[in-house]
Amino acid sequence: MKSTEFFPIPSYKLTQSLLLNYMSEVQRRKYSQEEKNSIFDGEFMPHIDSMYNFAYRLTFDEDDAKDLVQDTYLKAYRFINSFEQGTNAKAWLFRILKNSFINEYRRKSKQPAKVDYQEVETYYNSDDVDYQSTSDMRAESLKDMLGDEISNALNSLAVDFRTVIILCDLEGFTYEEMSKILDIPIGTVRSRLHRARNLLKEKLQSYAKHMGYKTDEEEE
Amino acid sequence: MDMNEESSQARKLKCEDSGKCFELLESILDGEIDNSKEMLKEKLAKCQPCFEHFHLEQAIRDLLKNKCTKQALPIELADSIRKQIQEIK
Repeated sequence: MKSTEFFPIPSYKLTQSLLLNYMSEVQRRKYSQEEKNSIFDGEFMPHIDSMYNFAYRLTFDEDDAKDLVQDTYLKAYRFINSFEQGTNAKAWLFRILKNSFINEYRRKSKQPAKVDYQEVETYYNSDDVDYQSTSDMRAESLKDMLGDEISNALNSLAVDFRTVIILCDLEGFTYEEMSKILDIPIGTVRSRLHRARNLLKEKLQSYAKHMGYKTDEEEE
Repeated sequence: MDMNEESSQARKLKCEDSGKCFELLESILDGEIDNSKEMLKEKLAKCQPCFEHFHLEQAIRDLLKNKCTKQALPIELADSIRKQIQEIK
């Protein structure tokens, strides 16, 4: 997918209201009712499972996740004229969902979002990452893990770290798509992903030790 | 991608440039490097730390993909969305 098919100017340079204005004024298309139905059913609805999984892993609550997915689809329908048929609907929908979460759900959720988020933003947005800092964990120690350990480890990460792992590893988005969904430069996507995986490894390692799996550290 | 068959005999035990190597390996696993198969094969055959890092990263990705994507969609959600769309049409 060419980047121009998505949002032609980097949206992280725009405020939310400007962006909505930009989407609706500049890129407006006029779809017939039939075309709208076809886009909605053929391009938007097939992603509902992924959307719900993402929403649930952001909110940890079934009702909130349902509301978030529902709101996202209603917004997608309302702004359907700023979606170009045949382009990356999944990334477009994920972007709306993530913005809705930040603007509405995070505000009312129990997470200490503001402080947490700003700390992450200022400290972890550095693109300078030491790739050598790695755990002593081994691939073999993961083999016997059931779903719960990995799921709990993922859920325990701060939301910005959790999000990049969901987008990349669960949903298979490219760095470029993630950059557009999250409104951050590609270098930041790469470094945040690396840090997120290191944190995840630390969690998994502590589970593995707790469960008596072998790690390098214990061998020494 | 099965790289397990490579013998560990010929692999060096210390990676001189693990920062760069690990970054490259992670980008390959994320599908960000084109035509990486041969380069990867060669790298993993030569270097034990790279070999281990690659397999750990791959195992974590597989685990995430297999265990964390199965949140059951509430059956009424799709219908409820369609109903609300009908109302605003």
